[in-house]
Amino acid sequence: MDNKATILMQKYEVGHFLGQGNFAKVYHARNLKTGQSVAIKVFNKESVIKVGMKEQLKREISLMRLVRHPNIVQLHEVMASKTKIYFAMEMVKGGELFYKVSRGRLREDVARKYFQQLIDAVGHCHSRGVCHRDLKPENLLVDENGDLKVTDFGLSALVESRENDGLLHTICGTPAYVAPEVIKKKGYDGAKADIWSCGVILFVLLAGFLPFNDKNLMQMYKKIIKADFKFPHWFSSDVKMLLYRILDPNPKTRIGIAKIVQSRWFRKGYVQLEAFQLPPLSPRNAKDISDVQAAFASSSDSDSDGSPMSNKEDSPMKLYRFNAFDLISISSGFDLSGLFEDNQNGRQLARFTTRKPPSTIVSMLEEIAQIDGRFKILKKNGVVRLEEYKAGINGQLTIDAEIFEVTSSFHVVEVTKIAGNTLEYWKFWDQYLKPSLNEMVWVWQRYEQQQ
Amino acid sequence: MGCMNSKSVRKFPAREDSLDLAAETAFTVNEVEALFVLFRSISNSIVNDGLLSKEEFQLAIFKNKKKDNIFANRIFDLFDVKKLGVVDFEDFVRSLNVFHPNASLKDKIAFSFRLYDLHNTGFIERPEVKEMLIALLFESDMKLADDVIETILDKTFVEADLKQDGKIDTEEWETFVKRNPSVLKIMTLPYLRDITISFPSFIFNSTNVERVDETSTRL
Repeated sequence: MDNKATILMQKYEVGHFLGQGNFAKVYHARNLKTGQSVAIKVFNKESVIKVGMKEQLKREISLMRLVRHPNIVQLHEVMASKTKIYFAMEMVKGGELFYKVSRGRLREDVARKYFQQLIDAVGHCHSRGVCHRDLKPENLLVDENGDLKVTDFGLSALVESRENDGLLHTICGTPAYVAPEVIKKKGYDGAKADIWSCGVILFVLLAGFLPFNDKNLMQMYKKIIKADFKFPHWFSSDVKMLLYRILDPNPKTRIGIAKIVQSRWFRKGYVQLEAFQLPPLSPRNAKDISDVQAAFASSSDSDSDGSPMSNKEDSPMKLYRFNAFDLISISSGFDLSGLFEDNQNGRQLARFTTRKPPSTIVSMLEEIAQIDGRFKILKKNGVVRLEEYKAGINGQLTIDAEIFEVTSSFHVVEVTKIAGNTLEYWKFWDQYLKPSLNEMVWVWQRYEQQQ
Repeated sequence: MGCMNSKSVRKFPAREDSLDLAAETAFTVNEVEALFVLFRSISNSIVNDGLLSKEEFQLAIFKNKKKDNIFANRIFDLFDVKKLGVVDFEDFVRSLNVFHPNASLKDKIAFSFRLYDLHNTGFIERPEVKEMLIALLFESDMKLADDVIETILDKTFVEADLKQDGKIDTEEWETFVKRNPSVLKIMTLPYLRDITISFPSFIFNSTNVERVDETSTRL
């Protein structure tokens, strides 16, 4: 019995114990099918129900689905038996950032990288209306590549006991990362509170100690409420400037994510997310990815040679020709995704039919791309891609428009956001894309409204 | 059938039923239980009988009581395996299985063939396709001249109807679909990969008994 491997749900081989929280035990496990390592978090069902966390746990599982991001620990799957609940989480093998800092402050460039990734992750969640509310180094993991992973996003309530005395308590018993407005308990904006917590984290990474600390809890609260802190002498002027604006006790004047990203200290060495590999620029029926990439590479070579490809009139687009079944399948009656109500993580899709020739559509898209020189245009057969030059928060906004021929005088166009910030996309859509497309549209067959 | 009625209104699927459905589909026991959460919410939206009616199905897809949609009706008819006019949970799970990303291409091709065989003739015939095309154009408030519609149909049947007998059989359909894979786009629902996270309330009702519980001191 001792040597017998524990197989969970006929799917995971459970290995050694990793640690224990207030409600859950965590084990290493391996997916038997894929070989992937995961962390299995085990909750006792009765305990969860007893402390009244049933609805909260359900809601927070749903939140985890909204916030897929390379710097956030991913929830792969939820499982349950009669007595237990299991989360299969992404396995992060490097350890807690807290452990690194507890051995002394970090070099500025290392701290900056972690902070950049933290802001990327937090900004991504805020853009989907999700706040963390319990950011602290103990909830920040570092993987084997040295990249930051935020954990317990949406699960913070399980670590807290809000009900008993109304105050937030962390595992360490110190609310040193909590924003002033949270302490005042007059209602607060979770996103602004998260930003404050990010500021405290940045201070800790660079200093090796807390900005607000006192053995007496009330004294510490007073310091937080007044933002009473001092910078160590080794802090650079740029990071001081940024931290003054983050650790602003007035949430109304506190700096936001967009401005943090633009700050001089933050921008240094800032690289966009590599994990968001853009799908290849390929028409709908491309059979083999490698073939498409080869074709794309060769067409790029042609472009660089100043071949006829650069003159659009000499290279008519080869459009995918819709057959009757393609046309029939665009009916919303064939689209069962409505059964799964929450569609926020889905691709943003707009579709319309048009009587205008494809060249008119392409010209209009080129004009839009040129506004403020914001987008680079890539074209291949029926696909036109607008790729933002400048990486904003959450990476480059990238939009594909694919044109399909039905008859020589009747085309279908699908416009999809394939990367970048959802709010930025809707802003661009409302301000530039939809008004221009409206001139082309015969019938809007479908577009998603901003939620 | 009183037995079936009482069975259908039960609050959560019995362990044996979940195990059976998991064994014959790509879904795990927990995924079957999560699908029950979905099924219960949509099947009780109009009549609280634990069975999915056509009206409830349309309401779930469109989020409003639209007038009849020929395409949603067609899917419902194929889900309604027992031809009772309502769909029970077991048939809901078995039918949804074909839309799973891991379902076989063969099953997706077969289901899509039946989807387009509107009058169950055993073939996809030109009049059926024309009827669906006109319904799509009507649904989208588009008007195309008859000759344009005929042109689209001509082009499609030249490619799909290899025997040129005015109808598409299962072999021709398989050939056509493999040459035009986008036709199967509607046959895959990526959501089904995340079903346990989408409908997490199953965790508190799960009747799943895992071997691991025998070593509960272990975990």
